[in-house]
Amino acid sequence: MSEAVQHYQFIKTFFQEYGCPIVEDNSGRLVIQLTDEMDEALMNRPFYWHYIKKMGRQGDPMSLTLITDPSLREEKGEYIHSGAPRLRQFYQYLLENNKYTKLYETVNHSPIHAPMIPWLVVNVKVHYFGKQKKDETHSVGLNLIHGTILSPAMEKLENIEFEPTISDYTFPMTPLIKVASGYRRILRFIEEHIEAQDKTWVQETLVAREKERKLIEAFFTDKDNEAERRQLEKELEDLMGRFTPRVTIEVINGGMFYLTQETANTMISHEKTALKRT
Amino acid sequence: MEVIRDETFGEQLAEQVSNPESICSWEKFKLAYQAAEDATVPSFEGLVALSHLPHLELLPHQRDAAEDIIHRMQGRAILADEVGLGKTIEAGLVLKEYMIRGMVSKVLILTPASLVNQWVTELYEKFLIQAYAPRKKPAWKEANIIVTSIDMAKREPHNREILDTAYDLVIIDEAHKLKNPATKNFQFVKELQKKYCLLLTATPIQNKITDIFNLVSILKPGYLGDLSSFKKQYGKKLGNMEGNVHLKQLVNNVMIRNRREDTGLSDTKRMVKTEWIQFTEEEQQVYNQLENIKGTHPSFTYLTLAKELCSSREACYMSSKQMLEKIDANENAIHLKNLLEGIEQLPHHAKAQKMVEIIQQTDEKFIVFTEYRASQLYLQWYLQQHGISSVPFRGGFKRGKKDWMKQLFRDHAQVMIATEAAGEGINLQFCRNMINYDLPWNPMRLEQRIGRIHRFGQKQDVKIYNFAIRNTIEEHIMNMLYDKIQLFENAIGELDHILEQLDIKDLGMEVEAIMSESTSHGEAKIKLDNLTSVISNTKSQWRSSS
Repeated sequence: MSEAVQHYQFIKTFFQEYGCPIVEDNSGRLVIQLTDEMDEALMNRPFYWHYIKKMGRQGDPMSLTLITDPSLREEKGEYIHSGAPRLRQFYQYLLENNKYTKLYETVNHSPIHAPMIPWLVVNVKVHYFGKQKKDETHSVGLNLIHGTILSPAMEKLENIEFEPTISDYTFPMTPLIKVASGYRRILRFIEEHIEAQDKTWVQETLVAREKERKLIEAFFTDKDNEAERRQLEKELEDLMGRFTPRVTIEVINGGMFYLTQETANTMISHEKTALKRT
Repeated sequence: MEVIRDETFGEQLAEQVSNPESICSWEKFKLAYQAAEDATVPSFEGLVALSHLPHLELLPHQRDAAEDIIHRMQGRAILADEVGLGKTIEAGLVLKEYMIRGMVSKVLILTPASLVNQWVTELYEKFLIQAYAPRKKPAWKEANIIVTSIDMAKREPHNREILDTAYDLVIIDEAHKLKNPATKNFQFVKELQKKYCLLLTATPIQNKITDIFNLVSILKPGYLGDLSSFKKQYGKKLGNMEGNVHLKQLVNNVMIRNRREDTGLSDTKRMVKTEWIQFTEEEQQVYNQLENIKGTHPSFTYLTLAKELCSSREACYMSSKQMLEKIDANENAIHLKNLLEGIEQLPHHAKAQKMVEIIQQTDEKFIVFTEYRASQLYLQWYLQQHGISSVPFRGGFKRGKKDWMKQLFRDHAQVMIATEAAGEGINLQFCRNMINYDLPWNPMRLEQRIGRIHRFGQKQDVKIYNFAIRNTIEEHIMNMLYDKIQLFENAIGELDHILEQLDIKDLGMEVEAIMSESTSHGEAKIKLDNLTSVISNTKSQWRSSS
């Protein structure tokens, strides 16, 4: 799928999810009527909304024209490309507002009272800070009954239907593992993964830091000069900030997922065959 | 190695799942994950941007430069590639990479006014980045990526708003113009709040080692102390820098300089031909008449008129007439009057005829450089008489007009006639022939001219014709300066260093001084000979030492 098509679909789903009508859709150019909520979130006009609310008036939300098809770039509208600030804004908004969930797999016809098995799914971004940076996303699932770990989890769940309410004739099982301790298990799993990585970058960072430190000290030699001494301290502090090898685990989002026994089984068995293969 | 983790998420989640308000839908949960994945940078090395720009053809040195700036230099660098190697592309790539990595969203790009539109177009066409070039009432605060001229930015009330904004990235094109720290421009740039900063210049060291001091102190404030202590420590000469290992390392940490020869760009060759032209008898007579002025006028008057007569009757006529109006009707005026009468009788200029002769041999496009407005007008008229279409180009044109002229030249006209001030900034890779109708006295400026067509994107060999008239001041300049330095065969980079070592500030001014201070041809010749031999001497030393 081309990048333009990906952006197009992403934007369309995004606004549908947030209840904004798509007024015009010329596959590649979208005109979106914003709701009050989304106007306030995206259009950066706090004074307008402050005033409207104070006066108790009806707001007049704007519409947004977004172009994803490069061949339509000449038309009026905001062109969306990788790295476009508008796209980042959507990402940011999504990440800020969708941290937690609790979902039940949709079961259409259950012959008996079927138990739903609780899973904890946590998605994280691992940032590696050396003299350069990189990051990884991980999606880890943990069965809260018997502690099986599944990774990647989101890719497995992607095409399953979930709802915020439990389907008829099914019941949720009570977790044997508490969510908080389940989360700690998942963190340990990720840390093991980090430990197992190649560590040359750590050494390289320390060598580069030492080299840089010597260079800085060669330029700020006058220790008696108060201003110069302070600047040296500041430079060294910056250096430590930039060149101290470290890893941070940042949570993207996470939630409780209740799966049928059947789904849970297929996921785990896939996992086992996947493990055997590697 | 330290691992920092989010300790509290587990408890928060346990608490929030029982609160329907904070629960999100499956679709939104998936979208948020997708957003996080999309903004992931999976590798320490390399550029993520490349996979997002499949249509862009990059040269290896351009990719390397962008990688170096991001990974090794932490986004603070002087990009000092030679003219025509694609500094704008490198800077655009850095910008794109930072944007995709989510490290940059507020950007200020400062360029000469003539380049603003070109930047906006290039960012858009090559990098799919929508930049904003403010005109009347700029929205400094709202716009994310702004391209503007430094002259506009530093003016009230814009400057206060701009200085109030924290920019993630500031790019300054033609940064060699910042070499004087006493100027408002320099102070303004220094005061900008910037996380990352790129300075673009083809000539990082124009004259003195202190030029490098000034550029570095924008990027790494405080490192080199103040100017006077710097001078005390490092002196003025480039040689001293070579000797100082720390300074060298620092410069190496902030500067990228690709040379044409290292980049494989020399694929398209540069063919330079000197066209010797003979004045007609009448023209030569008038030219000789100029000698009479020497006795009664300052020597630079003679020099000016001689240069102008070598360009066109019109150029010379205009200034002689102005001079005549200024002086009283004393006997000094008689020479000027005679001169004017002589010029009025002259037929078409020998150089103009030569120019038409060359252009008529082919249908290809030509850019013609002259030093004088009057010659520009004359040449345009003269070409028209021969059924050759042409457009004028001047530094003083407004932005829109420049773009329009460039477009007319590309799509319709065969010839563009440009004056010196147009030498910087306009890119004409679609043209491969250049006529230097008048030669500048500073050979560095010629390199700037040639860089307009012999640059990244040029697909054919480039032909340069240099015009010079025998038995005139032009012959001196050509023989004594250009030929001896063999400038045309070499990249200008070397000359930078050589002039640096000789502490010559502006070669053009040096030559002009020699010509006007000398009392005879003989003296001028000896002095110019001395100058060129010193330059060639230093050059061979330079070569053998590096």
